[in-house]
Amino acid sequence: MGEHEAQAYKDNGTPEEQSRRQFLANATLAVGGVIGLVLTVPLAISLIPESLLSPEKSAGGVWAGVAKTDMSTLVAKPGEPVKITFNFKYADGYLPAADVTEFVWGVKLTPEQDTTFKAKRPDLFGSPAEEVKYRSVVASFVMFSSICPHLGCRYQWDGAQKRFICPCHGSQFGVQGNKLAGPAPRGLDPLPFRDKDGAAQVTWIQYKSGQPDRLIVAYS
Amino acid sequence: MSVLTWIEQRTGIVSQTADFLTEDVPGGASYWYAFGSATIFAMILQIVTGIFLTFYYAPSSVSAWESTNYIYHNVPFGSFVISLHFWGATAMIALLFMHMLQVLLWGAYKAPRELSWVVGVLLLVITLVLGLTGYLLPWDMNSYFASQVAINIAASVPIVGNVTQQFLSGGPGMGTLTIGRFFGLHVWLMPAAMIALVVAHLSIFRHNGSAGPPVDHDLKKLPQGRFWPNQMFMDAVASLAVFAIIVALAIFSPAPLDAKADPTQKFIAYPAWYFLALYGLLRIAGTLPGNLIPIANLFATVIIPGGLVTLLVLLPFIDRNPSRQLSRRPWVLGLTAVSLVFAIGLSLYSQLAIQKEQAEAGEGGAKAVAAAPAVAGASGASTAGTAAAGGSGGAQVAIAGGAAKGMTVYNANCSGCHGAAGAGQAGVFPTLVASEYVTGDTKRLGHILLYGLNGKIKVSGVDYNGQMPAWKGQLSNTDIANVLTYIRSSWGNKAAAYPEAQLAGITK
Repeated sequence: MGEHEAQAYKDNGTPEEQSRRQFLANATLAVGGVIGLVLTVPLAISLIPESLLSPEKSAGGVWAGVAKTDMSTLVAKPGEPVKITFNFKYADGYLPAADVTEFVWGVKLTPEQDTTFKAKRPDLFGSPAEEVKYRSVVASFVMFSSICPHLGCRYQWDGAQKRFICPCHGSQFGVQGNKLAGPAPRGLDPLPFRDKDGAAQVTWIQYKSGQPDRLIVAYS
Repeated sequence: MSVLTWIEQRTGIVSQTADFLTEDVPGGASYWYAFGSATIFAMILQIVTGIFLTFYYAPSSVSAWESTNYIYHNVPFGSFVISLHFWGATAMIALLFMHMLQVLLWGAYKAPRELSWVVGVLLLVITLVLGLTGYLLPWDMNSYFASQVAINIAASVPIVGNVTQQFLSGGPGMGTLTIGRFFGLHVWLMPAAMIALVVAHLSIFRHNGSAGPPVDHDLKKLPQGRFWPNQMFMDAVASLAVFAIIVALAIFSPAPLDAKADPTQKFIAYPAWYFLALYGLLRIAGTLPGNLIPIANLFATVIIPGGLVTLLVLLPFIDRNPSRQLSRRPWVLGLTAVSLVFAIGLSLYSQLAIQKEQAEAGEGGAKAVAAAPAVAGASGASTAGTAAAGGSGGAQVAIAGGAAKGMTVYNANCSGCHGAAGAGQAGVFPTLVASEYVTGDTKRLGHILLYGLNGKIKVSGVDYNGQMPAWKGQLSNTDIANVLTYIRSSWGNKAAAYPEAQLAGITK
C-alpha cells in the first residue's frame, strides 16, 4: 500500500502511552467480540429447523383415505400387489397446507402368505429396535411404503418375476416385502393401515433409508 | 505467530491491514468522529441480519406474508432477528442523517472532499430506497398500502410516470411481480451498489485524510492522534451503544406485523418515520384549493424531493466559500437550520395527523395494531409513537384532500357495484356519471348513502332495480362525505364538495 505519512505513529510515546494503547486495542477487540457473540448466538439458533426443536409436533401422522377403485382391485386380487393412491394434506413450511398425492403398494395376503408372513419378516416382529408400533398386517392386508429402503428410489412390481424390483440399484423384494436380493439393508417398510367405517385409510411415514433399523424421518 | 507470518508472506494481508489502520486523526481521537463508523456498523448489522432473514423469506404474494409470519412465530429468535433488522434500519438512517449533518455543519464537504460528499449523498438515496423497498416485503396491510402510495407517487410524475409505475410494480397493479422487484432491489441491487459506494467513500476518505474540526488553520499543526487503536476504540464503543439500543428496542418493542395485505380492507397506512416529512408535504398539498392540487402534488412528490437531492449533490460546487469556520458560513448553516426545522415540523405534523386519524378509526374498535416508530427529523430527536390502526372508519392515506381520501373508500366499498369509473351495471346498479342523484340535492344523496335504497330507480332516464346497502354505522360521516366529494368531482361530474356537517342532520 506504499508509504504512509502518518505523523502520529512516528513516535511511540511514553511507556504509559504504549500500555494505554495496548489496553485500547484489547478493549476494541473485546467490544467487537461482545457484539459478535450477542449477534451470532440468536442468528445461529434461528437456523435450527422446527423439526429438530419440537419433533413431537410433527409426530403422529394423519390418516388418509385411499382410492376406492384401487381398494376394490386389491380385494379382488389376493396375493397380487396393487398400487394404492391416496391424497393427504401436507403443510410445506409456511405454505398453506396443500393436497399431496402419494401411493403405497398394497397386498391382500393369501392365507398361505398370511401364515408365513411372520417367518418371512422377522424384522417386523419382536426386534428390540422395532420402530413399527402398529400391526403390519390388518385383516390380511399389508401396505408397503413405495420408497425403496435402500436409497429412496421408487421400486415397481414385476408381474412376470413375481417380485418388487427397484430400478436404481437392483434391490429385489418378495410379495411379503422380504428382501430377496440387492443392496437394500432391510425389507420393505409397512405403513399403518386401518378400516374406518368401511373406508380404508393409511398413514404416510417416511423412514430413514440405507440402514437396517426402521427410523422415522417424517410423518405426513 | 508463524502461521500469520506464513500467510503474511503470501498475501500481505497483515501489512495491508496495519496500513489501513494507520491513519492520523487531526486533533486526536474523538467521539465526534464516530458517526460515520457507527453508520457502517449499522449497515453491517443490516446485511448480516438481512442474510439470515433470506433463509426463510420467500418473495411472492402467496408466501411473503406467510414466510414473514413464520419467522415471527416458528423460527427460534425469528422475531428478535427481524426486529433487529427493523430497528437497524431506523438506526442506520438516523446515524446517516447525523453523519451528514455533521459533515454539513463542519464544512467537511469542501474541496478536496467534494466527491466524498457526492458519494455520501448517493448512499443516502440508496439507503432510503432500501428503506422503501424493505417496507413492502412483509406484505402486510401497512406494507401494501404504504407502498401503494409510494408507487402512485412515482406514477404521478408527468410523462414518464405511467411507465415508471409499471416498471416498479412489474405490471398494472401491485402483486407478486411487485414483491419480486422490490426484493431484487432490496436484497441484491441496492446492497451491491451500497457496498461499492461505501468502498469508494472510504478510499476517497483515506486519500484525503480526516477533515478534522471546523477550523481554517492548517490541520497539520494540530496534535495528531492515532486511528488504531485510539479512534477505533471510540468507534467500537459508539457502535456498541448503537447496538445496545437496537437490541433493547428489538426486545421491548418488536417490529410490528399487521394482517396479510388485503386490498379490499380499509387501513390507515403510515410511512416510515424518515418519509414523514415528504408525507406531510403531500397532506398539505391535498388541503389546497382543488385547482392547485395537481401542481402542488407535483411539487410535493417530485420537485421538492428531487430538488433537495440535486441541491445536496451540487452543494460543494455551489458553496465556494473556502472557510470551514462556522461563524463565516451564515448562509449554508442558516439554510440547513431552516430545512431542519421544516423537516422536523412536517414530520411532527404528519405523525400527529396520522395518530389522530388512527385514533378516530380505532373508535369503531375492530382491532388495534402497534404502529411504526416515529422519530422526527434529522437530529434524531425522537417522539416514539404508538397508535391504533385499522378499525371501521379508516382510509388509505390521502394523496390529496377529501376527494383522494374518498377515492380509497370508494374503491374499497363502492366500486364492486358502481364500477371503478362509476359506470354502474346495466339494469341493476345505477351509473354515477352525469347522475342527477349524484350532482343534485345533497340531502337526498346523503340519505341514500346513510340508509340505503331498494327497488326501482330511474337515473338519467334509464331504469335500474337493485339494492344499495345502508352505510350508516359502516362508514364514518367523514368517509361518506369524502366518498361523495369524490364521486361528485370525478368522471366528468363537477359538483361541489359534499358538506359533511349535513350528514348528521339527515334522519331516516
